[in-house]
Amino acid sequence: MINNIERHAKLLKASARAAKNITTILDPYELFQRTVDIICEEFGFYYAGVFLVDDATQYAVLKAGRGEAGRAMLREGHKLAIGGNSMIGASIANKKGRIALDVGEEAVFFENPHLPKTRSEMALPLIVADEAIGALTVQSTEEAAFREEDIDALQTMADQLAIAIQNSKLHRQEERRSRLLKAANRVGKEVSSLLDLDQLLPQTVNIICEAYGLYYAGVFLLDEQGEFAVLRAGYGKAGKAMLAEGHKLRIGTDSMIGACIAMGEARIALDVGEERVHFKNPHLPHTRSEMALPLIYGGRTLGAVTIQSSEERAFSEDDITTLLTMAEHLAVAINNAHLIEELKEAHNEILRNKVFEALTTASTEAIHWIGNKTLPISLTVARLREEIADGKVDLDSLKEDLDMISESAVQIIQVKEQLIGAVREMKPRPVLFADVLRTAAMQRGIPQNVLQVEIAPSAAYIIADSTQLTRAIGNLLQNAIEAGAKSVKVRVHPTEQRGMLEIDIEDDGVGISDDTQRKVWSPFFTTRGVSHHGLGLPATMHVVSQSQGHVALVSEEGKGTTVAMFMPRGRVDVEQAQPGSVKSILLIDDNDDWANLLGEMLKGTKVKLTQSTDLKKFPEADLILVDENIASASLTEVLGALSKAGLAPKTIILTSAINPERVTQYLREGLRDVTVKPYSTGELNELLK
Amino acid sequence: MTTVLLVDDEKLIQRSLEKTLLRAGYDVLTAPDCKTGSEVFSQNASAVDIAVLDLNMPGFDGMPKNDAGLDLLADLKQRRADLPVVILTAYDEVNKAKDAVSKGANAFFVKGREQGLVELIQKILSA
Repeated sequence: MINNIERHAKLLKASARAAKNITTILDPYELFQRTVDIICEEFGFYYAGVFLVDDATQYAVLKAGRGEAGRAMLREGHKLAIGGNSMIGASIANKKGRIALDVGEEAVFFENPHLPKTRSEMALPLIVADEAIGALTVQSTEEAAFREEDIDALQTMADQLAIAIQNSKLHRQEERRSRLLKAANRVGKEVSSLLDLDQLLPQTVNIICEAYGLYYAGVFLLDEQGEFAVLRAGYGKAGKAMLAEGHKLRIGTDSMIGACIAMGEARIALDVGEERVHFKNPHLPHTRSEMALPLIYGGRTLGAVTIQSSEERAFSEDDITTLLTMAEHLAVAINNAHLIEELKEAHNEILRNKVFEALTTASTEAIHWIGNKTLPISLTVARLREEIADGKVDLDSLKEDLDMISESAVQIIQVKEQLIGAVREMKPRPVLFADVLRTAAMQRGIPQNVLQVEIAPSAAYIIADSTQLTRAIGNLLQNAIEAGAKSVKVRVHPTEQRGMLEIDIEDDGVGISDDTQRKVWSPFFTTRGVSHHGLGLPATMHVVSQSQGHVALVSEEGKGTTVAMFMPRGRVDVEQAQPGSVKSILLIDDNDDWANLLGEMLKGTKVKLTQSTDLKKFPEADLILVDENIASASLTEVLGALSKAGLAPKTIILTSAINPERVTQYLREGLRDVTVKPYSTGELNELLK
Repeated sequence: MTTVLLVDDEKLIQRSLEKTLLRAGYDVLTAPDCKTGSEVFSQNASAVDIAVLDLNMPGFDGMPKNDAGLDLLADLKQRRADLPVVILTAYDEVNKAKDAVSKGANAFFVKGREQGLVELIQKILSA
């Protein structure tokens, strides 16, 4: 009796220790294996095993078994029918523990070849919320090892095990749900930020497969005719291979995707057995479960997502819920991407039409213009021929006719000058904008008091061809004045785009109508009558484009026009010049920005720089530099005085806008050279060599 | 003497046409835009036998305008419904021609075929 009580107490203690160890394990496979090990170690049993009821509640499937015997049975997929003859099957069916002892008539139960030494067995149901989720088998090599009262002691442990299994399952479900929600969230975020389908769809299949641990996912989109679902993204090598093959499925009932799109409903195939027909894709031989989710937006089916697992019955309710949510997000994103594509296409169409319209306008204007300019030539020639034939050639009339022919020809030739200028520098360089502006204003006869100039110190230099830029700025200033501007504001400042400057030329002239604004960049378009070529703005655009910049125009009728030129910023470090043998320089120039720059560059050198516009007396100098555009003196008078004083051979004319005709003229007057103004120390050193 | 009112803003074309018409024996009054053309007509209303008007030129406000010649045509026709008018254009456009005729022009003449202009004027005046 005492032995029995001690034995029972020992069993209870062991049961409590085993239960304590079991309940801390959350990983199901570890839980099962540790359980059988702990039981055998604590109780000294020959064998222990854990069975769980399968999804169909038909079998108890072995999940863990002690030792080599357990491993062998697991390999064999050992399972027992619920409610059958087995101890386990009966224990689950009755939700009661059972004992079988090798005494006489019950020896039949111990025929398992993996467990030849079993002489007693106890089967304990694993019950959660009154439901048997599996059973525990414990086996002993002793005959009559178990007694009825032992069942209670071990059932306590089995109950703890059942709770631990349930906890582990819940934990697993919770973990998976959390991962799925994160994945759905990630897809939601990704899809809302990606508008290019070629990025969005591959990204989506990758996220789905990685987050859900799936074998394969693919996205199909409906073709334009609505006949086929065309694969647009597929996971892994299988996806790549199918995309390369142009994989597509006919809409209808032949495939899960086809049926899903046709019916606008999700389709799920979870069982390999009777639905094996669904899994015949040679690229996806391991698929055992498949889900097809329709991509529906605004009642319209755009395509479908296929999601495939190598496990049977792989998809839980949570999977389906989160994947459906994700498919909804994806449908919205695909729709947005479609809309963007349509918008882009519409924009391109508009652009094509605009370009065509602009080209047509430009060609028509050009034809009209050329026609008008050549007409007097043909007309006059025809009339002259008649006059000659009639023998009535009047000399004055003939002279006038020749003048008309000549003027027409000159105007035609001027078009080239207007459009591309007379000369181009070899390459754009940092140009002192203030100097270019001053030259442009002087060349176009724009009074300095009309201009209000504001140049940010960091925007002093622009990368440009100074000759071309002078012409472009001149065109804009001239346009402003011809539009009746009383004031022209010129602002130069850095932009948000790194390395770019904005040059705004804002006038308070009559402004330009919306209709005209659309045509102003077309060559030969003008609102200013026949004396204009209509090439000012197109030429400006050409110049700005050459410097990798761009130009925009904003105007309001009655209020004025602003032209904004965006051009690259130039950087110049003003260093001390190396003047070579030059010891003294006379600068004939206004006291302007460039004169100041020259002074800065020569500061600290041995060169004596004298600045003057006094033509009566020229100080002694090795070199005389003359700015071609001086406000305080006439260039003709300056050059005349220098020639008269015999100083022409020492004189170099500097200009920001060089012109070959004027160069020829100056050189023929005996000047030493004519060149573009140096805007950096390096350029000055070159000049002083 | 037959007097032609010639209105065209292209200085050289105007002068060249003027010389062609003078050589053909016409008196020629010239103007470079609608406003001046209208004024010249007012000052010589009884003398002008026919008007030759450019289609695109500065309008009555002095600003370049497409089809300004049709505005001057309407102005002249309002003052003298029987005044023959020829519209000159650089464009060979059928629709423009129809438009001009519907507004009372006797002819639509494409520049570049001026040798026919004298014959056209003679034909209109002798009709």
